[in-house]
Amino acid sequence: MSECHRLSDWMPAVALGSAEWTSEEIEHLRSCYSCQAEWDLVQMSGRLGREAGLQVEAAATSQRLLDRLDRHRLHRQRRRAWSFVGVAAAAAVVAVVWTGRPTTGSIHHPASVVGFQMALPELDSLQPAELDSVLQSMDEPAPADSTLEDLEGFLDSWEG
Amino acid sequence: MSASLTTTQSAAPAASTDEALVTAFRRGEEPAATELVRRHVGALGQFLYSSGADRDEVEDLVQETLFRAFRRLDSWQGHGSFRSWLLSIGSNLLRDQFRRRKGRQVVSLEQHEIADQGDPHADLTASDTEERLRQGIAALPRLQRDVFLLRVQQGADYEKIAVALETTPGAARVHYHHAVKRLKGLVR
Repeated sequence: MSECHRLSDWMPAVALGSAEWTSEEIEHLRSCYSCQAEWDLVQMSGRLGREAGLQVEAAATSQRLLDRLDRHRLHRQRRRAWSFVGVAAAAAVVAVVWTGRPTTGSIHHPASVVGFQMALPELDSLQPAELDSVLQSMDEPAPADSTLEDLEGFLDSWEG
Repeated sequence: MSASLTTTQSAAPAASTDEALVTAFRRGEEPAATELVRRHVGALGQFLYSSGADRDEVEDLVQETLFRAFRRLDSWQGHGSFRSWLLSIGSNLLRDQFRRRKGRQVVSLEQHEIADQGDPHADLTASDTEERLRQGIAALPRLQRDVFLLRVQQGADYEKIAVALETTPGAARVHYHHAVKRLKGLVR
């Protein structure tokens, strides 16, 4: 290794104060233009931006950091909780769909639908005009003071 | 040293190693984080500014770097130095920022002119040289820049640099000498 390379390896340590030049090395630095240029570069680069670093206030920075980390932790916990709720809801939907599937090929109608399709043989013999009259009488609102007897009477007259 | 951390939180930890502080923080001891920040915040700010960050954005970049680092403390295994690892995260952050801006706006060294602000000639020359050097460093390829700054500002040896930057000590040495060769002419 040449003297220039050896000095080059030591330059950062000497510039930062953790090592010192020997008198022979100082002599070499005085006589070698390339080493001088590198030594100037290393010294100046070592100092570069030091004020910018000092301007960052450590206490405020660490407090901001801890606050951010707390918020981040909370946010992550919430996200995990919502993920769990989502998975649970999805599982519930799957369970409902699965247990509600028909076990045979027949279709079961709800009772209300069955009732709606019930036949009224009394109406089969009526003419269209008579059917209209029946429907009109059904659409008329009942009087406000009507009693249960009134309603039964109305149904009796409607059924003939 | 880590024993003192386990007995009391407020005794943090000025004498502890970075590794002990990281372990303490993982256990939930916040003063350990405060001490880590106190130790490294200045070096991080200096590194980011020297790497090309604007002075008024250094503080935010420092904050973001620390946040990223502390979010994934588990990825620091304690093999290399904590500071080198932190600075490499800062370097990645800066690279992302440059990419978002679609490239650095580095003034050409040949076209760089000294602003006439009436300052004393000597001060102007010194600050101009520093600015030229800063721009020269910022314009280096990333690995050259990171190796160079870790060497001259932190005094890190090539082995530690290699671990932090995921390269080899030999490659780190080559990057350093390339950087020196390119920058030498800017300060004389």
